[in-house]
Amino acid sequence: MPAVPVSGALRVLVCEFGCTYQMHHAHIDKFAYQDSVIHRLDSRVKFIAVLVFTAVVISLPRTSLSILACFAIGPFAVLVLGGIPLRFVFKQILLVSPFVLVLALSCPLYDRTPLTVAFGPFLWRGTIGWMRCFAILGKFVVTMLALIGLVSTTRFNDLLAGLQKLGVPKLLVIQLGFLYRYIFVLIDRAHHILQARAGRKLRNLGFKRELRTASAMVGSLFIRSIDTAEHINIAMQGRGFDGRWRSISKLQIRRADLLFAIISIFFMLVLYIFVKPILQ
Amino acid sequence: MSKAIEIENFSYGYPDGTMALSDIKLSIEHGQKVVLIGPNGAGKSTLLLTMAGFVKGTGKVFIDGLEVNRKNLKNIRTCLGSCLENPDDQLFMPTLFDDVAFGPLNMGLGVEQVKKRVADALQTVGLAGMADKAPHHLSAGQKRAAAIATILSMTPKIITLDEPDGSLDPRNRNNLIKLLGCLTQTLIIATCNMNFAAAIADRAVLMDKGQIIADGDAKEIMWDFKLMNGHGLEVPTARD
Repeated sequence: MPAVPVSGALRVLVCEFGCTYQMHHAHIDKFAYQDSVIHRLDSRVKFIAVLVFTAVVISLPRTSLSILACFAIGPFAVLVLGGIPLRFVFKQILLVSPFVLVLALSCPLYDRTPLTVAFGPFLWRGTIGWMRCFAILGKFVVTMLALIGLVSTTRFNDLLAGLQKLGVPKLLVIQLGFLYRYIFVLIDRAHHILQARAGRKLRNLGFKRELRTASAMVGSLFIRSIDTAEHINIAMQGRGFDGRWRSISKLQIRRADLLFAIISIFFMLVLYIFVKPILQ
Repeated sequence: MSKAIEIENFSYGYPDGTMALSDIKLSIEHGQKVVLIGPNGAGKSTLLLTMAGFVKGTGKVFIDGLEVNRKNLKNIRTCLGSCLENPDDQLFMPTLFDDVAFGPLNMGLGVEQVKKRVADALQTVGLAGMADKAPHHLSAGQKRAAAIATILSMTPKIITLDEPDGSLDPRNRNNLIKLLGCLTQTLIIATCNMNFAAAIADRAVLMDKGQIIADGDAKEIMWDFKLMNGHGLEVPTARD
């Protein structure tokens, strides 16, 4: 039986954070620094719009597959106006899809009640389980489009400032800020460790030794993270930090933000109240 | 007038009994540019942390006339800015602006004043117009400059820098030398790079095994081959 490269899991983990093994991590948020009408919108307005949009899409009945396609028009328009390449968007969706795929593909296994769906003159005979599976996948893709639209057109610090203004606890916002700042450092370190391992691993080590290597690598990352945390604490205290977080907010609601909010509400209301009953 | 730094018989040991600093006596005048040179593990970084009040040992440390203790810590850290060895530890905010503004905001300055300080500090280090950049988008040289800007924005009288030339290419190192040469503050720089040290300092303090071995004119100490070689160091390759 071939040995499973367990330490490869760390590589997958690194990739799951948004980069391929060779790709530089700066690509994760590169589109957030572009300039477009969508990029210039206030992060609070975009965040609330995505939040409401997600709630509405999730609340749609599982039989409303065609309405999902109509809902997709909104985030699709945002992505196009924001100049975000669709190839990048679908790559991001694919990266997260394994988690949802497991959930979706399990539906046909436990609900096999027969069901017939008419697509105009065509009839599809399946099960409720498959219907659920398609609904989960459809909702996942549409909500991911909206979410990617948000994070690809909003700088993370603006998003954090917006969250803080919206009343999200400061401690959580600070934690998210540190996570964003140091995930890149962590990815770099993991990358270096993997390179060091690849440079010295000249043969297949077998499952047990691979597992031991992987755990040593994770342990090394953990210890270095603690070390970094101690240094950050010194840097913060050295600059007068006394436990109270102070920041300058540059956020401002303008006419374009109000217009975006009105269009978003109108779009969701029209689809939910008028189009949904027709397509259901 | 009080001295910038005054250390009297300071000693500090690790929990395992190893002495990191032994009976340190050091006096630095305002405006001096001092390099702490010595091999790895000599105690240079620990001495810098001691000055900023992060290390508690026996003996007394005075910064600009204030004794380093819990009561004076806020004033001391306003007066003395410490720049850590790894800029990634120094730059912990999502944007350069937030990082450089962090110190002035903690000092209780108003928004307009903070903005001016940030603009001035970034201008000084040559990063004007990059305030909205995320630290992970900066090059190694820019990160180093940004780390210094985070200290300059607090307008301290004394600046300590731990291995500021680490992982810099010659061009960025020269830029850093020019930048440090322009600063009027008291500078205390820990480094293992003798060419870098010789280009900046007028005074050198040679440390080894937690002790001060020699203290005096930078050129006299750094060109003493026997002294330098005896402590695992090299003499600078070029004069001036």
